[in-house]
Amino acid sequence: MVEKKVYSKLGEMLAKGEFILTGELEPEKTCDLSHTIQEAKEIAPYVVAANVTDSPLGIVTINSMAASHIIQKEAGLEVIWQLTVRDINKLGIAGMIMGGHALGLRNVLSLTGDHPALGDMPESKPVFDLDSATLIRLVKEMVDKGTINGHEIEHPPTLHVGAAANPNSDPMGAEILKIGRKAEVGCEFIQTQVVYDLDRTIEFLSEIKKYNVPILLGIFPMKSYGMAKGFDTFVPGVDVPKEILAKWKNIKTEFKHDKAEQKRIYDQANYEFFKPFISELKKKGLLAGVHCMAVHYPRIFPKLMEVIKA
Amino acid sequence: MVIITTKKPVDEVLNVLKDNNVKKLFLVSCGVCSALCQTGGEEGLVEWKEILENEGYDIVNGLVVDDVCDNREMAKIVRKNDADVQEADSIITLSCGLGVQSIVQVLSKKYHEKNVFVTNNTEFMGMTERIGRFYMRCRGCGDCLLNETGGICPITTCAKSLMNGPCGGMVNGKCEVGNYEKDCGWVLIYNRLKEIGRLDLFSKLRDPIDWSESGHQREVVWR
Repeated sequence: MVEKKVYSKLGEMLAKGEFILTGELEPEKTCDLSHTIQEAKEIAPYVVAANVTDSPLGIVTINSMAASHIIQKEAGLEVIWQLTVRDINKLGIAGMIMGGHALGLRNVLSLTGDHPALGDMPESKPVFDLDSATLIRLVKEMVDKGTINGHEIEHPPTLHVGAAANPNSDPMGAEILKIGRKAEVGCEFIQTQVVYDLDRTIEFLSEIKKYNVPILLGIFPMKSYGMAKGFDTFVPGVDVPKEILAKWKNIKTEFKHDKAEQKRIYDQANYEFFKPFISELKKKGLLAGVHCMAVHYPRIFPKLMEVIKA
Repeated sequence: MVIITTKKPVDEVLNVLKDNNVKKLFLVSCGVCSALCQTGGEEGLVEWKEILENEGYDIVNGLVVDDVCDNREMAKIVRKNDADVQEADSIITLSCGLGVQSIVQVLSKKYHEKNVFVTNNTEFMGMTERIGRFYMRCRGCGDCLLNETGGICPITTCAKSLMNGPCGGMVNGKCEVGNYEKDCGWVLIYNRLKEIGRLDLFSKLRDPIDWSESGHQREVVWR
């Protein structure tokens, strides 16, 4: 067996087969990243790396390559640079891959990106010169062959490239074949969309197991009832189960006069929901780790670590 | 196939005429595509004659022309109506963008000083379901994929024109663009290829569009 090359801590942990936790950071419309850096520092002891988002929902934020570099440098936390094909053409993206490497980035997550029409500059030109699969192919060509379109790169980049997958996708068959395309061009890890339906997740992960790509399960521990309700209402294709919403609502009401206790109960409720969920998938050998997308909820990470280590 | 057009707001057209100090107009109305879209033809001609006369413009002539977009047809019209073309300071056409540019090209030799204006916006080349229901199903990309996508075009039906969809913006077969009301093109392709037993084609990775040929003025010249 050919030994996989390792360029980052994430790559190293995945190669070793260690069960890992990754986090998510969402820089906003700002040039000052101090809040995000602080959050990165808080989750750093628990995660191997954290994603840095690229203008999610098409809402303009600080550029993800710049933010990734600054966070990695200032917080000392390895990042997974999210790069969408929405805004930049193939030529620009190839330049960014070299730029990203030069700035010290060693993991990139290939994403399509939400259409500009959804965001706060809806009149922007949607580029989509590449798609999430052909971006992976481009990165792999640059890293493994040291070329772009067959032209040699003097000092080629070294990055691991991953992809997203959505177990909630319907029709599931289309999503599975799409993962197959990404695996074929060399996708090195997968982070899934947030899941709450265990049976569906088992079905999906069992189907894509054949592609032999490490899977990090997307979870979204909910900091409050408002967060849970908002997520259920505003995130398309993800339904928070009714019993969770009811339980979280109850915590909100019951502990409204004791905020400290309310926080503790919310954290405990998340732990109780996600522990058996993750344990079951881990037991079935379907996961390489967990990707926690709960931004602005760093205090949940120590509890999640208990789940990861269990 | 029809070039689908819609009417520009009347005020927008009148403002352009005013800005250009137009006095005497020759009207050309498309008798084919724009007639079908009710943005040209005989009815459109009558409508615009009335609007322009009410605004005080001198209408030198007004004709319905079958192929405004055909240089040969327009050249004939100009020859037959030479005195009127000469008298008018501008031409206004109830057609698509091809019609306007055909007239500009035909007039460029003898009447290059004449202005040409248009009353319509050109939307797309459309498939007709019935009158009043026209759909974009082909963008004329020059490299047809339909033989391997079950006869459904991803360039047109996918809001992102992805070559390897669907993307994460698909929920229950619907597209994130337009509030999940329109079908996801790649799910349509998946379902179609499944029906005809060719999901192997769905699994295939497709190269990005080659813009080296499409990015500039395209032409088909074979003689």
